[in-house]
Amino acid sequence: MRRVLINGVGGVLGARVARRLCEDADVTVIGLSRYEPLAPLGRAEWLVAQLNGLQLVELLEAEQIDTVIQIDFAGTEAPVSSREAAIQQNVIGTMDLLGACLRAGVQQVVVRSHSWVYGASPLNPMMIDERRPVARSGLRGFLRDLAEVEIFMGEFAEQHPDMRVASLRMAPLVGGWSSLIDYFSQPWPRMLIGFDPVIQLLSINDAVEALAHFALNPCSGPYNLAADDAVCISQAIRLCGQLPSPTIESMIVRSKRDVSRDQPQYWPVDVNFMRHTCVVDTHRAKHEMGWAPQYGAADSIIATRQNGQAPPDREASEAALRAFLNRKR
Amino acid sequence: MSESIEIEVAGSAPTPPVSVEIDVSHAPAEAEPTPAQPNKRRSRKRASAEVPVQPNPEPEPSPAPPPPPHPASAWSTQPSEDLFEVELEVRNRAAQAEAPSSSSLGDIAAGLLSLVGENMRRMTEEQVGKVNEMLGGTDLRDYLDPDFWKGIGMVLQYQVQEQVDFIKRRARGEYTIDPYGLDPDIIEIVRPFVSFMYHTWWRVQAQGLENVPAQGRALLVANHSGVLPWDGAMIASAVASEHPLQVGRVVRSLHLHWFTTLPFIAPALAATGQVPGLPENAVRLLENDELVCVFPEGIKGVGKLYKDRYKLARFGRGGFIQVALRTGAPIVPVAVVGAEEIYPMLHNAESIAKMLGFPYFPITPFFPWLGLLGTIPLPTRWNITFCPPISTEEYGPRAADDPLTVLSLAERVRDTIQETINTRLAERTSIF
Repeated sequence: MRRVLINGVGGVLGARVARRLCEDADVTVIGLSRYEPLAPLGRAEWLVAQLNGLQLVELLEAEQIDTVIQIDFAGTEAPVSSREAAIQQNVIGTMDLLGACLRAGVQQVVVRSHSWVYGASPLNPMMIDERRPVARSGLRGFLRDLAEVEIFMGEFAEQHPDMRVASLRMAPLVGGWSSLIDYFSQPWPRMLIGFDPVIQLLSINDAVEALAHFALNPCSGPYNLAADDAVCISQAIRLCGQLPSPTIESMIVRSKRDVSRDQPQYWPVDVNFMRHTCVVDTHRAKHEMGWAPQYGAADSIIATRQNGQAPPDREASEAALRAFLNRKR
Repeated sequence: MSESIEIEVAGSAPTPPVSVEIDVSHAPAEAEPTPAQPNKRRSRKRASAEVPVQPNPEPEPSPAPPPPPHPASAWSTQPSEDLFEVELEVRNRAAQAEAPSSSSLGDIAAGLLSLVGENMRRMTEEQVGKVNEMLGGTDLRDYLDPDFWKGIGMVLQYQVQEQVDFIKRRARGEYTIDPYGLDPDIIEIVRPFVSFMYHTWWRVQAQGLENVPAQGRALLVANHSGVLPWDGAMIASAVASEHPLQVGRVVRSLHLHWFTTLPFIAPALAATGQVPGLPENAVRLLENDELVCVFPEGIKGVGKLYKDRYKLARFGRGGFIQVALRTGAPIVPVAVVGAEEIYPMLHNAESIAKMLGFPYFPITPFFPWLGLLGTIPLPTRWNITFCPPISTEEYGPRAADDPLTVLSLAERVRDTIQETINTRLAERTSIF
């Protein structure tokens, strides 16, 4: 019998992980969210609140939680409105949660992270594995928060070896909201002239599967997760149905004054990611955890372009209808 | 970049092996003009073409007796070559024709045939089969037959359609690259050019290719020369096209990671399968049983002055030996002769180089005086010798941390290459 708490269950990813975990009858899922969940959570129970550390300890102890999934990060489900609030939520929120887990005797914590925390650099190996340290400079916004969280988690895991802390460094997700895919889908997305690095992506379906799988199996330390194929930035833009417009650097980086959200979204992360690669090696997740991505990067972009609608497949729709009508009452 | 990362790189990257080149060896083998199924339907018309050419050709050649076995029926195995033969014949016949209209018609026909032939060199087996089918009943030697024009028209339309489809497919982003950035479409586009440089421009003579393993990991170690790193492209071309077992092996060359900071060059290198010269990359490629080519001389080799030609520079700090020892990969020394003279570099204008951020700025008899024309390499004759492999397995991976073993092996590889170069130089009568 496992009791799992999902922090950040309100978003699309959280709701899907909750439903996925509920498929397993042995798992009890408790959700915690800052806002009313956007999607149904299956048989999970949830709580809408912003808890501080001590309140978290109380919740974890009262519900006898043994596993925590942390996906409550600002900037993953919607654009960030305030940097300060985002740092509070992403960095301080995760530190609070890890402290509470330690106090409440939680055995395992799985934290969502990003494969770009290594930073983009010409000195990156072609395939980065988990032994490479997280970049301490050259990142901004959401990635910088995650890099800070990663550094904290590394130290935390060293000091508390009896608690399993795993971070899933996922390539940019396709499906649901994503700042990157948003950028690619706007008219004439800008690229740095003369550069076209390779990027990796991960289908949200694979991300859901990975979070559930890693939560239910013992794991610790960082794991890189990405789809098996890679795409060039220009190719990703074309797959999103747009044409890239090569421009010089100053036209891509958002100037300090220009932070109004009504403006078309500029390149959402550090401009170095338009110049250099940050391709990760997923060997560890595959061989130690038996995880494997089911969806390719290019295929998932094409699928998202159809607005996430199911393909017009009569047989699949018929099967879905039968399954719904015969569901357990 | 944090301090810790910099220290790590400085410590673990003693020799970034340096090279930049266009590599054509990664394209799928089936992209070569490959044998198509024998075309039997052409036999009747071919026979008609065997009627001796008259000074005044009949508009309707009389039906001919059953076809004798004709050696030129290699048409189906070498479609483009055969098309060029046909084109020549059509041209001759048109020249001999008396009526001016007929002769100009023949020229057009010959031109179209040559266009079709050019395009067919780049086609895949499946496409060649389709073209064969379209030309099925047509006698390509008889341009006065309406069937000829119909057949050629269909083929041209098909080819235009193919090109349009290709461009549309690229515009929709429907192509695949590997995680290193290798793009097979781009390689197909570059291949004819590199092949021209290999066979026609430098008339490269490759020796000892049997020393390159047909499968499994191996580290090619070559001397580096010639200002622009053409030598890597030629080594890759030699392995891809002239290996005795015709395995079409891909050579992944390592280039200076500085090149990945340059616009246009960085994506071009990645698309042709080149990898930045970091030890991690070399180890990873060798562990995947790939064929990796390094140039341990690096910038010192490629930016060598003409007066220092064929004197090997220092082989870095033996980083390539460490990589080979760690992965147990055999080392194949490669000696390239001929590349030193393609751009005779008389002087290295260091101040200009520093200003532009280049590793060196060559002054040759032609560059920068002739501008872009000065970047055309001289058509010297090349020889590439692949020496017998040096096994590293008996030392074990621990030996990579033993500086004496590493440096003595590096010296051995360097001596082998230098001796081979000296032998080839002695054999050479002229640089052209």
